[in-house]
Amino acid sequence: MTAGDPPILDAAVLAELRESTGGDDDFIRELVEAYVSEATGYLEAMTAAAGVADAAAIIRPAHTLKSSSATLGAMRLSAISRGIEEAGRAGRTDALASDVDQARATWTETLAALTAAGLAS
Amino acid sequence: MSPARAVALIVDDSPVNRRLLARHLDTLEIDSREAADGRAAIEVLRSSGSDVAVVLLDIEMPVMDGYETLAAIKADETLRHLPVIMISSVEELDSVIRCIDLGAMDYLPKPFDPAILGARIRASLAGKRLHDLEIESAERQAELLHTIERQKEELSRFFSPQVAALVSSPEGAQLLAGHRRVATSLFADLRGFTSFSESADPEEVLGVLRQYHETMGALIMDRGGTLEHFAGDGMHVFFNDPILQEDHVERAVRMGVDMRAAFGLLAAGWAKRGYQLGFGVGIATGFATLGRIGFEGRYDYGMVGFAVITAARLSAAALADQVLLSPRTYADIESLVEVEQVGELSLKGFSRPIAPYNVLRMRSDVAAGTSA
Repeated sequence: MTAGDPPILDAAVLAELRESTGGDDDFIRELVEAYVSEATGYLEAMTAAAGVADAAAIIRPAHTLKSSSATLGAMRLSAISRGIEEAGRAGRTDALASDVDQARATWTETLAALTAAGLAS
Repeated sequence: MSPARAVALIVDDSPVNRRLLARHLDTLEIDSREAADGRAAIEVLRSSGSDVAVVLLDIEMPVMDGYETLAAIKADETLRHLPVIMISSVEELDSVIRCIDLGAMDYLPKPFDPAILGARIRASLAGKRLHDLEIESAERQAELLHTIERQKEELSRFFSPQVAALVSSPEGAQLLAGHRRVATSLFADLRGFTSFSESADPEEVLGVLRQYHETMGALIMDRGGTLEHFAGDGMHVFFNDPILQEDHVERAVRMGVDMRAAFGLLAAGWAKRGYQLGFGVGIATGFATLGRIGFEGRYDYGMVGFAVITAARLSAAALADQVLLSPRTYADIESLVEVEQVGELSLKGFSRPIAPYNVLRMRSDVAAGTSA
């Protein structure tokens, strides 16, 4: 990733989400909790698929992680997931393993940012 | 607003998406059910008492994806009316178009905008309500048609089939309202019935009448006459209305002759039991007014006019076994009948006497056949 990378956590997206759900912080925390559990599961599925270079199997978890991450403002993980989904759809397996490693590293950063924002523990 | 909240089914493999959508829907006062994939969604929809009014459907899902789910919903007779809104990200627009081709109603872009969600859901629910109303209205219509059919059936028991059919036909109202046309009127009644009904047991009187009505009724049906009424031993039948009959005069006269013959057989049986009854017929042709006669609560489809009065008077004046024709009726079918003149009769209410003809027989009973 370069200097033009999307942010780990986009505060504006989170603020908008909070506003659209009536400023209910408990609900946001609940949503983040669901996201953490979901992301963990999808990253595991992606790791498994990349391990056997299964391009088709990686599409769906990458797709959903892309979408949920964008919902919660985890823009960099969303962008990486999108790249993985596209590679999967194109049947490209050469960079899958390294891309998934990058996604996992970004996830660690994202989780730290969410914790720092008081949304995850 | 209706007291019961509408229910949406959210079909998405992402718990984050489901939870967020459910939250937005709750703000819109819509309850939600959730399914993590297409198969689970179909199960919810097919479960008895499903109250789902709209489906929010993700495309990429494990087990059964959005396309398959949509196809399954649209292939199911009981589900296909359900509005389906596809949940999609911007880059999936091509897929969305495909889904709309497959029958999806709309799409909801990700990330979710509560205002757009509200607008799409409201539009879908309005469409669903319209559909429900259509179903309800179709059901009511079917019920109505059933009622009309039943009434027609009932009517045909009370009235002649022609009148029953007329009442329920599109032009019925117009015909019932009244019209003028040339028609032939036939009156028939029994001679000696009054004294018979005074002396015989009521059961016997009714038994005789039943036999008489059955026999004459069959002949009326056979010739396509319109029975205005049976009144005791009397009856009034007319022809050429409401169904036009080019040969209405001939039909009436043939029926009169048939009735006389049929009465002969009945009377032979009655005579053995000691009942002395005779039968007379009067037939007249002319312009008449036809339509609904009576008052609110009891109407007849009737014929009014000089011909009706003439036929009634001729029937009253006829001796047993006479079928009397008015001069005009005779003139119309002269070549078909053998008649005798019965002299001039002064009929009640007529300023001048008339000279009717008694039909002896049809000229060719072979050619006459039985069906008119």
